[in-house]
Amino acid sequence: MVKLLMPRAKDLDTVASDDLVDKKMSINEKVYDIMGHAKSSLSSILVNPKVFDFGEKGEEEKVLVVVRAHWFTNLSWIITFVFMLFVPALMNFIPIPGEIVTKYKLLISLFWYLVSFAFGLEKFLAWYFDVVIITDKRVIDIDFGNLLVKKFSEARLIMIQDITSKVSGFFQTIFNYGKVKVQTAGEMPEIIFENIPNPEKIIKILQILRDEEIKKNASREGML
Amino acid sequence: MNQDINNFLTIIEKIIGMIGSIIYLIFSGVIVKQVTMMSKNINDKYNGLLIAVSYFHLVAAIVLVLMVVMIL
Repeated sequence: MVKLLMPRAKDLDTVASDDLVDKKMSINEKVYDIMGHAKSSLSSILVNPKVFDFGEKGEEEKVLVVVRAHWFTNLSWIITFVFMLFVPALMNFIPIPGEIVTKYKLLISLFWYLVSFAFGLEKFLAWYFDVVIITDKRVIDIDFGNLLVKKFSEARLIMIQDITSKVSGFFQTIFNYGKVKVQTAGEMPEIIFENIPNPEKIIKILQILRDEEIKKNASREGML
Repeated sequence: MNQDINNFLTIIEKIIGMIGSIIYLIFSGVIVKQVTMMSKNINDKYNGLLIAVSYFHLVAAIVLVLMVVMIL
């Protein structure tokens, strides 16, 4: 009896489907939903970074995701760097014919430590500044090849035609990183991102953003 | 005669040391330039620290040149 008195919701038949609810999520929320939150500025994936900025950014452009190479790709140079630091100490155990004068030892050690430091710094810089940036308008690959070479590739989201990923080999499979290839209809036929962590999530984000851009474009054309 | 050879070798040593350390100094200057350029292009949390580290490296390279001049 009590149940009969309860008013029936008038809009039961017009409750939004899951798709419609999904559409209400902002792009930021969708990206968070897929990628999660970055724990540190030194993470391989930064989601909606507050501090991050780049020179070619448009005024109204918003950086959604910044991706660096997977941390595991740094392991080889970190091991080499640590080994290089121990080389002067190890040299004491190797018998050398004749005797090296102390002043030479000092100079050679200083030079060696500087070279080791420069090696580590160069490798870190290459990792830190080689980034893939996904904004709400385009996807950008900034690549600092060596000392003074900068390569900048971009593709507008709406121009993206096909996105593929490739995870091959033992370590890539274990740590889930690999190559993402973005084929575009623009001047740059394809952009390749190497050693990207979670390639399938990156693909998903790019697909969502591309679809959003296509919808926006369609509605703009409809209005005209 | 031996004294002459020793003097000659010392001069050669000094020249090689100087050239090596100056080349390294130029290289460390290039690193500073590189980090500054990268930081202009990409602005992130640790840019300031990286620029400071590159300048520290440059100072260490200058110390190396001075040590080569004084020691050799």
